[in-house]
Amino acid sequence: MSQYDALFEPLNINKLTIRNRIVSTAHAEVYATDGGMTTDRYVKYYEEKAKGGCGLCICGGSSVVSIDSPQSWWSSVNLSVDRIIPHFQNLADAVHKHGGKIMIQITHMGRRSRWDGENWPNLMSPSGIREPVHRATCKTIEVEEIWRIIGDFAQAARRAKEGGLDGVELSAVHQHMIDQFWSPRVNKRTDEWGGTFEGRMKFGMEVLKAVRAEVGPDFVVGLRISGDEFHPDGLNHEDMKQIAKYFDDTGMIDYFGVVGSGCDTHNTLANVIPNMSYPPEPFLHLAAGIKTVVSVPVIHAQNIKDPNQAKRIIEGGYVDFVGMTRAHIADPHFIAKIKMDQVDQIRQCVGANYCIDRQYQGLDVLCIQNAATSREYMGLPHTIEKTTGVIRNVVVIGGGPGGMESARVAAERGHNVTLIERAEELGGQITLAAKAPQRDQIAGISRWLIMELERLGVEIRLNTAADESLVKSLSPDVCILATGGRPFLEQNPEWGAEEGLVVSTWDILSGKVEPGKNVLIYDTICEFSGMSAADYLASKGALVELVTDDIKPGVGIGGTTFPTYYRSLYEKDVIMSSDLILEKVYREGSNLVAVLENEYTGQQEERVVDQVVVENGTRPNEDLYYALKASSCNKGQIDMEALFDIKPQPVLEAEGNAASDGMILWRLGDCVSQRNTHAALYDALRLCKDL
Amino acid sequence: MVIDWLPSVLITTLLVLAVVGGVRRANLWRAGQPEKVNIVAGLLALPRRYLQDLHHVVERDKYMSRSHVATAGGFVLSMILVILVHVFGVSSQLLAGALLVSLVLMFVGALFIAKRRLHPPSRLSKGPWMRLPKSLLMFSLTFFVLTLPMADILPEGTGSWLLTLVLSIGIVLSLSEMLFGMTWGGPMKHAFAGALHLAFHRRPERFGGGRSTGLKPAVLGGDVHGVAKPSDFKWNQLLGFDACVQCGKCEAMCPAFAAGQPLNPKKLIQDMVVGLAGGTDANYAGSPYPAGKGDAKVLGNAKGGIDNVITAGLIDADTLWSCTTCRACVEECPMMIEHVDAIVDMRRFLTMEKGKTPNKGAEILENIIATDNPNGYAPASRTHWAADQNLPLMKQKQTAEVLFWVSDGAFDMRSQRILRAFVALMKAANVDVAILGDEELDCGDVARRLGDDATFQQLATRNLATLGKYKFSKIVTTDPHAYHCLRNEYGDFDVDGVLSKGGSGQGVEVLHHTTFLNQLVQQGLLKLSAFKGGKVTYHDPCYLGRYNGEYEAPRALLESLGIEIAEMERSAFRSRCCGGGGGAPITDIPGERRIADMRMEDITQTGAELVAVGCQQCTAMLEGVVEPRPVVKDIAEILLGQLIEEVH
Repeated sequence: MSQYDALFEPLNINKLTIRNRIVSTAHAEVYATDGGMTTDRYVKYYEEKAKGGCGLCICGGSSVVSIDSPQSWWSSVNLSVDRIIPHFQNLADAVHKHGGKIMIQITHMGRRSRWDGENWPNLMSPSGIREPVHRATCKTIEVEEIWRIIGDFAQAARRAKEGGLDGVELSAVHQHMIDQFWSPRVNKRTDEWGGTFEGRMKFGMEVLKAVRAEVGPDFVVGLRISGDEFHPDGLNHEDMKQIAKYFDDTGMIDYFGVVGSGCDTHNTLANVIPNMSYPPEPFLHLAAGIKTVVSVPVIHAQNIKDPNQAKRIIEGGYVDFVGMTRAHIADPHFIAKIKMDQVDQIRQCVGANYCIDRQYQGLDVLCIQNAATSREYMGLPHTIEKTTGVIRNVVVIGGGPGGMESARVAAERGHNVTLIERAEELGGQITLAAKAPQRDQIAGISRWLIMELERLGVEIRLNTAADESLVKSLSPDVCILATGGRPFLEQNPEWGAEEGLVVSTWDILSGKVEPGKNVLIYDTICEFSGMSAADYLASKGALVELVTDDIKPGVGIGGTTFPTYYRSLYEKDVIMSSDLILEKVYREGSNLVAVLENEYTGQQEERVVDQVVVENGTRPNEDLYYALKASSCNKGQIDMEALFDIKPQPVLEAEGNAASDGMILWRLGDCVSQRNTHAALYDALRLCKDL
Repeated sequence: MVIDWLPSVLITTLLVLAVVGGVRRANLWRAGQPEKVNIVAGLLALPRRYLQDLHHVVERDKYMSRSHVATAGGFVLSMILVILVHVFGVSSQLLAGALLVSLVLMFVGALFIAKRRLHPPSRLSKGPWMRLPKSLLMFSLTFFVLTLPMADILPEGTGSWLLTLVLSIGIVLSLSEMLFGMTWGGPMKHAFAGALHLAFHRRPERFGGGRSTGLKPAVLGGDVHGVAKPSDFKWNQLLGFDACVQCGKCEAMCPAFAAGQPLNPKKLIQDMVVGLAGGTDANYAGSPYPAGKGDAKVLGNAKGGIDNVITAGLIDADTLWSCTTCRACVEECPMMIEHVDAIVDMRRFLTMEKGKTPNKGAEILENIIATDNPNGYAPASRTHWAADQNLPLMKQKQTAEVLFWVSDGAFDMRSQRILRAFVALMKAANVDVAILGDEELDCGDVARRLGDDATFQQLATRNLATLGKYKFSKIVTTDPHAYHCLRNEYGDFDVDGVLSKGGSGQGVEVLHHTTFLNQLVQQGLLKLSAFKGGKVTYHDPCYLGRYNGEYEAPRALLESLGIEIAEMERSAFRSRCCGGGGGAPITDIPGERRIADMRMEDITQTGAELVAVGCQQCTAMLEGVVEPRPVVKDIAEILLGQLIEEVH
């Protein structure tokens, strides 16, 4: 046995034995394309978790039971039609084959949706009050509609059961229909469906009764609730305990899932999926509070990412199961790695929230650091097999995430790999990103890659600037350039970058340039770097104005991340200004004058500051590429058809043993054009997996 | 001849002295505990046991076996003829001629034995043993010359009084060694005690192709539990100790000796001889115990007597606790001595009477008593590993073709991988299998090897009672220790015939998983692809190989994957222990090196990247060796990696 025994003690939910205490809780995957069916991609995504040892997967966050609860915005699962049943059978078989269990969350989202698409429904809620996060106006639900939806819940549960799933979870969290009825903030009704406690509970209770009547006593029915909505006019923790006990007393609920915070404002939404700025398990106390009043197992997720943390929570008896959903997105094999005594090899979630921030934009959930996640169906592997072909001499230039991932994958394939980095440490732009307040955990991406490179015996040369002769002296069979980019400050000569009038966010975050006292940051990109630089400078005591020509600072950052930046920036009195273009910077005495022009009026205004920081993205470092291109056998080209199809690059087959035609040369990451960490890692994985 | 009668008088005198010595020696053995032996059957079986079973072991060393056949055969034949010709005076040219031929045979054999003694390996005892070849040569030469006239090759009366004197001295010296020494404690004692030991062996069932390796149950509730004093051994065990020829083959194979722990099986047996005959070990002329407390290495300090407590002055308890019970010594011993049983007998006294099981021993035994598993895990967690395996319980099923005996690997995360791999293979082959779940208890192996036979017997009885509730025809286990206990040691407690008569009345077949898997592969029930990895070697677990003779099935399985096994020099019956048996990791007697490290060196020398194992204990020990080292995998894990899954 091991120190993690507590995690591996099976526990029953109703009559269902869950093999361990780790759950992948319901989240919207955005993979149920094809009208809300659990596609091949969907099935393989969950199969990988089951293969990796996950005890219970609760799939399909916000899967709809009714046709007037739109699913296409988030490609969520559609349980309103019988067509789903055979798809569920595929899903259930795939998970059961590996000893896992799978349930699905079912819901009617009420007002928490969008009406301007799909069937163009009138959204509904108990009292017709608008939902701000989705800008969703809605009608007041009528009693006939209430009873129809209750019936829809029962039919959806039947479809889950007939499809061989192990249970359903009723969502009464995230401000869906059930908790819209619960919350006096939204439910202003005076009829039997509102008003009193029992009235507000009635919809949820009728749903539960109908579902239980349909599926019988042995099929698992769970309820996911908030532990505290964190709204003064919403449900607080004591209210939620009362509700949990009320439902538990029916004996019809088999488990409770507890989430801290409501989420119908941008600020509360950020609590629901805590990013790296939050402490570990920030809302465990709420779940533990619910556990004190209910008689069935309690599941709690939210910022539980580490096996030791999970073990501590279970051993402490706070809850019965820990949700480790993002942890599974980052590494679906992490339970297997605990069991293999390879805890150091777990790719741990860093809380970058790339996954959930994509979901809120209606994009498929992807992991910032694991490009194989949800691409299992395409043949992208989580475990890289050793090659049975020739062993190659692989040289990777650039130790950012793309270069490290290339080196890692090539080394896993069994090749001889040398990684060359100009700086004194590996990490590239991640190292810079981690310098900002509350962003240090992003360094976990590099940390894992570095540990893997060491484990795999990759030769790492730091403080080494690569040039053509160095590369040739290493006589590589394959040379991968991941040399990154450099801040693009020279786009507008009037900024005066050459005269040193402006500096980059890199200069600030790296500490190369001392923070000013009165700083203007001009951020045309509106993603992390500008916000991070503002937060960094403000935390060093600078007066900061963050200016953008875009519609608002940080607009490129997803819905669970910009709020935590805003909290930090507003608290430090950072001024955020929009719609202003930086036209010119000039020196005046010991100060700098920044000339700003309103995009829409052309009106100019000036700021007198002592430091101007510009974030204008990067230009690729491509000198080495062009120096090497001519002598490479593939002229630096990547076969896009093969790349996009996840097929081996044709040049690998053509090349054989002899390097007489020159080495293979590829480049990836920001040294091609500026994209993001995931893009660099994805290219590295799909290029190198067949090396 | 000057004095014709002299040789016959000398020979007769020494013969009489030998008989007197024999009776004296037999009385020493009789100080041991009574044990029923079929004297007549034993004596009748003697030639076969000698010529077949013993010779089979000796023959592994061709040089020695040939030398010994010539010398011993020549001597036995010569001695009979000497008595006929020189004592009873049978005058026959033919007999005399035959005597000359047999003496020549003996002389040639003795020459080779003498040659080996020119540069003797360290395992051989020196001292009087260095004299023996000279005595053998002297005997053959003396009687050759003495016999020449009788064969009419030399005329009667050849020679002078001087020759007579020389020959008489030769007779006295050589017969003192060969006859008097045989029963009075000289090197030739091995022939006398050895022959009787073969005849009256405590484990007659090990001869003639049989296999008996199970410990004899301790008698509980008597005056003494286990062996405290030499006189607590059975009389034929004492006889067995006396048979030792001090060849040191045991010493050369003993992993504890090689690791520098305070154990040398040869010295241990010689100390037993000191114990039974009284005195000190001052005359011992072999390698001492490699280490040990105080002056244990200095000869002469160990004092013994038939009624003296052995661990109070004769041997240190650490010597007994160093043994891994790997049976390498027993396997090598040409005299069929049972070292391991004796060691466990003495451990029983230390544990059951004295409560002196060292280091973690007492804690582990308390755990077993309290929780039915050595590490004290909650009994209810025994089946946690199988929560996702869909394995039926016997409690629900009542009957199954195969009962999978999970063993305490159930509690260990590493071993669980072996269990799961085996389950996956059984599922792929559609085996009708069930487990006992939480009804299963520790098999008792550790308790028994640590000397707590009371706990072992209790576990065996309770496990048998559980097994008796269900119907199954096979027990299969991935744990060779459980396999050995169930197959060879539970029989003594199986009063209801659960195992002997169970199943379809034919008795339950107990199988190691490699044997069972090999049957499945032979029947075409498992489809496997060829193994593509690097070089593979195989480590024979002691309790599978030496204890149960299964060397083939694991190799056949690896070969079925297209693996050409890179065999270690010490493999099959000469496999070196991993260090994990006999409770050795629990008693943890310090040495100079770790046995597992030595075994890993054996493995590394083959150039293997992967070592296949068939025992969770071996897996744990070998994986405990610091990296870099070859990967360690159970055969079930390797097979699972090559399983071609049927797509339904």
